[in-house]
Amino acid sequence: HPALSRRYVLCEVVSEDPRCRQCIEDRALGLAVRDAIARVHGDYGLACCSISFTGAGETGGPGGAGSLRVRSPVRVSPAVKYLNAYTGTVLLRCRKDSYRLLCSALPFVRYLESRAQRYPCFLNTLHVGGTIRTCQKFLIQYNRTQLLRLLQNCTNEEERQCIQKSLLSCSLTEEKSQSGDEEEDDGTE
Amino acid sequence: RGPAGRGMAAAAFERRVLRRAAEHHYLRVRLELPDGGARPNAAQFKQLVVTALRELHGEVGAALPVDVLIYEEKTLSAILRVISSGLVKLWSALTLLGFYQNRRCAFRVLQTSPFLLALSGNSRELVLD
Repeated sequence: HPALSRRYVLCEVVSEDPRCRQCIEDRALGLAVRDAIARVHGDYGLACCSISFTGAGETGGPGGAGSLRVRSPVRVSPAVKYLNAYTGTVLLRCRKDSYRLLCSALPFVRYLESRAQRYPCFLNTLHVGGTIRTCQKFLIQYNRTQLLRLLQNCTNEEERQCIQKSLLSCSLTEEKSQSGDEEEDDGTE
Repeated sequence: RGPAGRGMAAAAFERRVLRRAAEHHYLRVRLELPDGGARPNAAQFKQLVVTALRELHGEVGAALPVDVLIYEEKTLSAILRVISSGLVKLWSALTLLGFYQNRRCAFRVLQTSPFLLALSGNSRELVLD
């Protein structure tokens, strides 16, 4: 379906402040990314990427003067498709023609804001894929290697046991309707 | 070069073919400020152009190398130079600029060309006797 091709950008939120994890939510993130695009690429970039963090679609414009009133609900779907606050993984969506605008604006996200508090952080781009499924495959692979790395860098025995246990119990279960997610350890370092 | 005839004056000519597209594009623009207020000077004019770029194309647009080669304060007309890849951004930004210091304004692009020499003559304002 070449008409409306999308690109899905997988990134992770890296922050020194542990409180940053609690404001990893779609609204705050959507706002931060949208803000960065507006600063870096202006009104044109903002319109191109059509990032919207509100879930609701807008119904057709102000009611006309006459009796004719065309309702054309414009669904602007939210651009943040997946969030994982434990690992700080975020999946963003945009059009194929403008994914470069989005990707080039991501390094300009310097903080996440929630409840009038700012937490400095940065976004690391992990993968750009054409479908959610490819991004999921990549994420599973990436998480696997990250867990192994965590195991190597473990400092005390307790953490080691914990990670080993969760690694051994990881499995990808194929359910009838959809494939299940891999179980992850919440990466406490 | 053309061959020089024996005994005759050399009909020398030189033909240059530019395969590469020109590096810069030149625009002759005029700023219209319908309320006859204070006119911007050259620096303020450049600031206005950069502001227009920043509004429409963000920081990336504002960083576009734009030069004001000539500015006439009396007629508010100028010749701008921009790198060729940024012509569309500059032109669209100038088109969509509506305000200068909260005053209504508009940019009119009179001529554009990849060669500066072409801006010296304007066949639209040519008066044939």
